[in-house]
Amino acid sequence: MKELLRELSLAFGPSGCEDGVKDIIKSYIEKNMPACGEVSCDTSGGLFLTLKKEGAPRLMICAHMDEVGFMVTHIEENGLLRFGCVGGIDPIVLTSKRVVSESGHRGSIIAKPVHILSKDERDKRPKIENMMIDIGADSREEAEKVTFVGEYFTFDSDYVEYGEGYVKCKALDDRLGCAIMCKLIKDIATGEVSSDYELHFAFTCREEVGYSGAFAATERIKPDYGIVIESKAVADVHGVSDQKKVCVLGDGAIVSFADLGTIYDRDFTRHIMDLCEKNNIKYQVHRIISGGNDSRNIQISASGCRVALLSAASRYIHSPADVVHYDDLDAIYEAIKAVIRRGN
Amino acid sequence: MLELLKRLMNVPSVSGREDKIREAIVREVEPYADEISCDPVGNLIVRKKGTGKKIMFCAHMDEIGFFATYIDDEGLIKVNAIGGISALAAAYTEVVSENGVRGVIIPECGKEMPKVENMYIDIGAKTKKQAQRRVKVGDFFVCAPSIRRLSGTRYVGRPFDDRVGCAIMIEALKKVKETENDLYFVFSTQEEVGARGSKPASYSVAPDIGIAIDVTGTGDKPGSAKMAVKLGGGCTVKIKDSGVICSPELVKQMREIAEENKVKYQNEVLIYGGTDASSIQVAGKGARVSAISVPTAFIHTGVEMVDMFDVNEAVKLTALLAEKL
Repeated sequence: MKELLRELSLAFGPSGCEDGVKDIIKSYIEKNMPACGEVSCDTSGGLFLTLKKEGAPRLMICAHMDEVGFMVTHIEENGLLRFGCVGGIDPIVLTSKRVVSESGHRGSIIAKPVHILSKDERDKRPKIENMMIDIGADSREEAEKVTFVGEYFTFDSDYVEYGEGYVKCKALDDRLGCAIMCKLIKDIATGEVSSDYELHFAFTCREEVGYSGAFAATERIKPDYGIVIESKAVADVHGVSDQKKVCVLGDGAIVSFADLGTIYDRDFTRHIMDLCEKNNIKYQVHRIISGGNDSRNIQISASGCRVALLSAASRYIHSPADVVHYDDLDAIYEAIKAVIRRGN
Repeated sequence: MLELLKRLMNVPSVSGREDKIREAIVREVEPYADEISCDPVGNLIVRKKGTGKKIMFCAHMDEIGFFATYIDDEGLIKVNAIGGISALAAAYTEVVSENGVRGVIIPECGKEMPKVENMYIDIGAKTKKQAQRRVKVGDFFVCAPSIRRLSGTRYVGRPFDDRVGCAIMIEALKKVKETENDLYFVFSTQEEVGARGSKPASYSVAPDIGIAIDVTGTGDKPGSAKMAVKLGGGCTVKIKDSGVICSPELVKQMREIAEENKVKYQNEVLIYGGTDASSIQVAGKGARVSAISVPTAFIHTGVEMVDMFDVNEAVKLTALLAEKL
């Protein structure tokens, strides 16, 4: 899974531009699951794999392919690019970060340097309106040779493993979910994992800008149950009180009862917790109501379904240095494996 | 009506935890319904069969509350809000958990304006361990229910929002006589967190007409938003709120039916707040929607105030619409 996670995380895929990620997943599935299921794409941009099982309850497992990024909104006379954010990014993480465009051109995000800021400006939080992308062009004309208004950029980041089981990269939100799903698919193909549900794997688009891909997917699949794999922002770092840490990296899969988008199905969530206890899978309970994800639309699309969320704790989410722990990904994988074997 | 209302208000059921109130409502409607079902999101769908137009009435079962996020070393419980909690209104009141554990909710801010994130629930535990035996992170709480008569037909308590709507639908279901209309009474979930439950229910029912039954604000108290709705002036016919622009055609029909049958009503334009009507309007292939509301002062506090005259007018209008629309 690590090699696949690396490849997926480094792929270019801001919301609405997920094809690069989709191609990797598609070829992985086709290579590892010849003729066992049906891979399809829809006009919403999602990628789906159905493993038919007549008469069995329908379980949709979902992760989103997109990541947060940027879009060029205006090119200045001097060749600097004005931009807007695609998805929620805290401006404080942006200054001096490396970025890369859809066509592979590199740049950095610049703002007025500290030595010429007034005291007042220094005390304030930075604003996106005061930042620009520098791609090394000296004029608008030169810039327009390599980019255009409407072009996407993402963080230009490296995949770095460090410490005991930690990994850092951009876009781990939610390529880790995609990677876990791919591993499940592969292990089902080899017979290592079996399912008593009819499984619908949904790799969705545009989660970061309002869950519209999940809406389209659910209206079509009409599942009985949904499990969303996500990453969740936590603050398990020095100087934060135990209460505000939310969750801890390496302490296992996060199960959620509620966030700002969804109140998760209590019985399904408790069932997953029971299975974790029974199978010695590490899990932790999400301790804040914040954020939201595809679950919101999955729960209430079509006639509704029972939805649960499994997340990996993530430090510095929506930055080039999103950090997660491999053990948590394994715990999520094991938890889902336990769920889909209903005999458990 | 009053006894029914008391029974329903006394069952705590925060958004996403509506099972107990659902059971209570099933007991009330069973003798009068042709079909009763529950969907995956917990909506209770009660049908009185007909061959004509599909009309869906909808009142929500859930109420606002709190979510336990952390238990500290002293056994005090930190919380986040579920739905539009006013910290000012909630401060220093009694609360009860989904498992029946009682406590009080206290702001830790001294004289400043309280905020939910600075409040804690004290369940009388002496230690963290003692607290953890009774409450787990992820448990839900609500402010304790109550209902009292002030004078005449005026009552205060909580949660009128929206058990009063549930009670109105139950009474109307009992009252409805012969009609061709295919009637659905949906007791919905998760309205207080953004009209979530009614969306899948409406997709399943696919009604021609959707009418939410809920509370609305009033403009007749000091400090209330400017609004031409008064306590005791009759139930309302909704024209618009912040989530929905109602079908003008349906609003016209509702007014005509009210006038012909001498039901006292007020025209409602609510500036802040919405109801399930917003999601019924856009679910599935869409429906013509409006709402009947009960004027309620001090919504989302422990002293929500209604006039039973308005409640009874709402029952009449609901039953008439079920028969005549």
